[in-house]
Amino acid sequence: MPYNIAMVSDFFYPQPGGVESHIYQLSTKLIDRGHRVVVITHAYDNPKRSGIRYLTNRLKVYHLPHWVVYRSTTFPTVFSSFPILRQIFIREQIEIVHGHASLSNLCHEGILHARTMSLHTVFTDHSLFGFSDAASIMANKLLKFSMSDVDHVICVSHTCKENTTLRASLNPLAVSVIPNAVVPSSFQPLQPHEFKLSHHASDKGALLPPPPDPSHPVGPGDPITIIVISRLFYNKGTDLLISALPLLLERHENLRFIIAGSGPKAIDMEQTLDALPQQLVYTASGQSRVVLLGSIRHEEVRDVMVRGHLLLSTSLTEAFGTVLVEAASCGLMVVATRVGGVPEVLPSNMTVFVLPEVEDVVRGVTEAVGVLTSKAVRRDKFHDLVKNMYSWADIARRTERVYDLITGSSSAPDNEGFYDEEWMHYGQPAQPHSFALMDRLKRYFGCGIWAGKLFVIVVVIDYLIYCVLEMVYPREKIDVCKPWPAVARKRFEGEEEQSVNGTLERYGTVKQKHRRRKADEGAVNGFNDEG
Amino acid sequence: MLNIKRPTSTTVLYTFSTRAPQETFTALIANYSFLLARIAAGFLVAILCLIVYRTSWPVSDDTIPVPWLEEFILSSPLGQFATLLIISLPQICRFLLCAATTWLIFRKGYTEESLLVIRGLGVQTSTSSPSYLWTSSTRFIPTSSIQDIFIHEAFKGFEVRYYLTIVVDGENDVVVVFPNILPRREILENVWRGARSCLYGLKS
Repeated sequence: MPYNIAMVSDFFYPQPGGVESHIYQLSTKLIDRGHRVVVITHAYDNPKRSGIRYLTNRLKVYHLPHWVVYRSTTFPTVFSSFPILRQIFIREQIEIVHGHASLSNLCHEGILHARTMSLHTVFTDHSLFGFSDAASIMANKLLKFSMSDVDHVICVSHTCKENTTLRASLNPLAVSVIPNAVVPSSFQPLQPHEFKLSHHASDKGALLPPPPDPSHPVGPGDPITIIVISRLFYNKGTDLLISALPLLLERHENLRFIIAGSGPKAIDMEQTLDALPQQLVYTASGQSRVVLLGSIRHEEVRDVMVRGHLLLSTSLTEAFGTVLVEAASCGLMVVATRVGGVPEVLPSNMTVFVLPEVEDVVRGVTEAVGVLTSKAVRRDKFHDLVKNMYSWADIARRTERVYDLITGSSSAPDNEGFYDEEWMHYGQPAQPHSFALMDRLKRYFGCGIWAGKLFVIVVVIDYLIYCVLEMVYPREKIDVCKPWPAVARKRFEGEEEQSVNGTLERYGTVKQKHRRRKADEGAVNGFNDEG
Repeated sequence: MLNIKRPTSTTVLYTFSTRAPQETFTALIANYSFLLARIAAGFLVAILCLIVYRTSWPVSDDTIPVPWLEEFILSSPLGQFATLLIISLPQICRFLLCAATTWLIFRKGYTEESLLVIRGLGVQTSTSSPSYLWTSSTRFIPTSSIQDIFIHEAFKGFEVRYYLTIVVDGENDVVVVFPNILPRREILENVWRGARSCLYGLKS
């Protein structure tokens, strides 16, 4: 059953990032499955995005204008965007509001107002939080408020699910785990023809170590390049990296580093490198062994990744770790700290897990180098393995299953076979989620002694505002948007890889599948008639 | 409500007005009584001015051009009401009352916006003035500088509205048609189809 879905989050393009690309990819694949999706985010100044835009792939984006109070400060209220959100929900005939990222104010607002308007809500959490510091306690309380009335929650990893369930006191059955994915075609290992090209045209990236030849295995003593791609923040483990770097340079003569990303710890990194003795930082031929690239764009990540053999991630907290999947897809061995959702992401033959300690990081890298040089691992097989593990079309299918669950409608035929008896009713609430105001107030009241009462007041005010809005801007006066005209779906390149797996059927929309099946039947019948 | 005039096959005029249609008997009665009330208010202001003028610069009776008319006006119910106002109100209040009444008399109670499309020449948008005292503002765009006509959506206040707009060559901002009324989508689509087919001779 096709739904009208609104993705609500403060984070969306043109700002780069993991949540942003998650929303974009998921929306695209949901549209391919026959749903109507709009994205609601706030306006961006640089580059300027404001108003209503269409992206390619029929995705419509609402960049809500700021209600600027004074010098780009916005009004920090709970209700300020309700009138405009209500208009959008009505004109797009939204049935499901899907919020993303727990730090996004707009997402929580959208979920609250959607519940007031009796719409279904889903929330996806992308990050892990602590429990102890003051900021976390506040954030958790807000999350609890917003989550106490949400229909279903999606987390990107099992660790994230555990974390979110505890933080927001959720019913674990109402939380699903749907990971992130990568676009395998944009993270391909270095192809042989590219390798030749890169050796001829050496002007670009002359400072970087040359990419390794994928067809030749690494011998002992060959230079090994380690890639680090992370924003240089405390929580990304930059301090750990800074401490481990001199030890690694000292122990292994053949190691090179490419570090991409910027952040407040970049200065510490540069200072540490400057303080090291010259023979450690430079090779005998005078090349720098550690290259700092600064921040790079997401589409450049692959070109950097294919220059290395290993990816080192020293993050201290990580909900999913998309960069690890991207690296494995490019055919890199991964050394990662065993934190958060990282152990769930990749199978153990692609990764070396380390503890977040300097000695253990050094040990892990040494082990990985040993594995590489002893040819115990086939890096060229990584790409195909990852391609089969992670696909956005699969993520969209699983997300659609969540939508089916909360709306109580039957799932699409291609979505049924995956859930046997045991999982048939997983995640369905014991009693149907009631939209009545009284039941909602009861749920909010249970949030805490003081907080519960406060939340109830907020919800009641929200309901009153809703009543006023219904009078001031009546529903009949709001124009309903036209659906995007139906287009004949062509077979694009991206689809071919799916048909190779013999799973193309699964990814088509329900209608298309129906049509296709009919066509097939027609063809079969035709044959029979002739025979 | 939308009003379409198509005098020739190459010309079309779309007029959109917020004025209620003058078709029923009650609507006509209301319209004419409103007009009468305006005329009466106009006379009241004129009489007030006359009395103030006469009291400020008193003249002898034989220099008044038509004495019997002035007598008649001042003794009429309107004139007596004016005299009553003069007596009971201080000067500043009288002035304000006159100014406000004049403003109300000349104010239009509706907005009328139109789009005129002539094949081979161009389009002209116009918005009626809020008052009877000055003319409507119009804008003519020749065909050669029209790049496109399309319907889009935008945030306006607390609302999301559709609007019909013309992209003009060499200008940063687009020209919005019906900028104050912002009709609903179905109407805009009709206008858009008609304007395009008229302007470019397209079948739509």
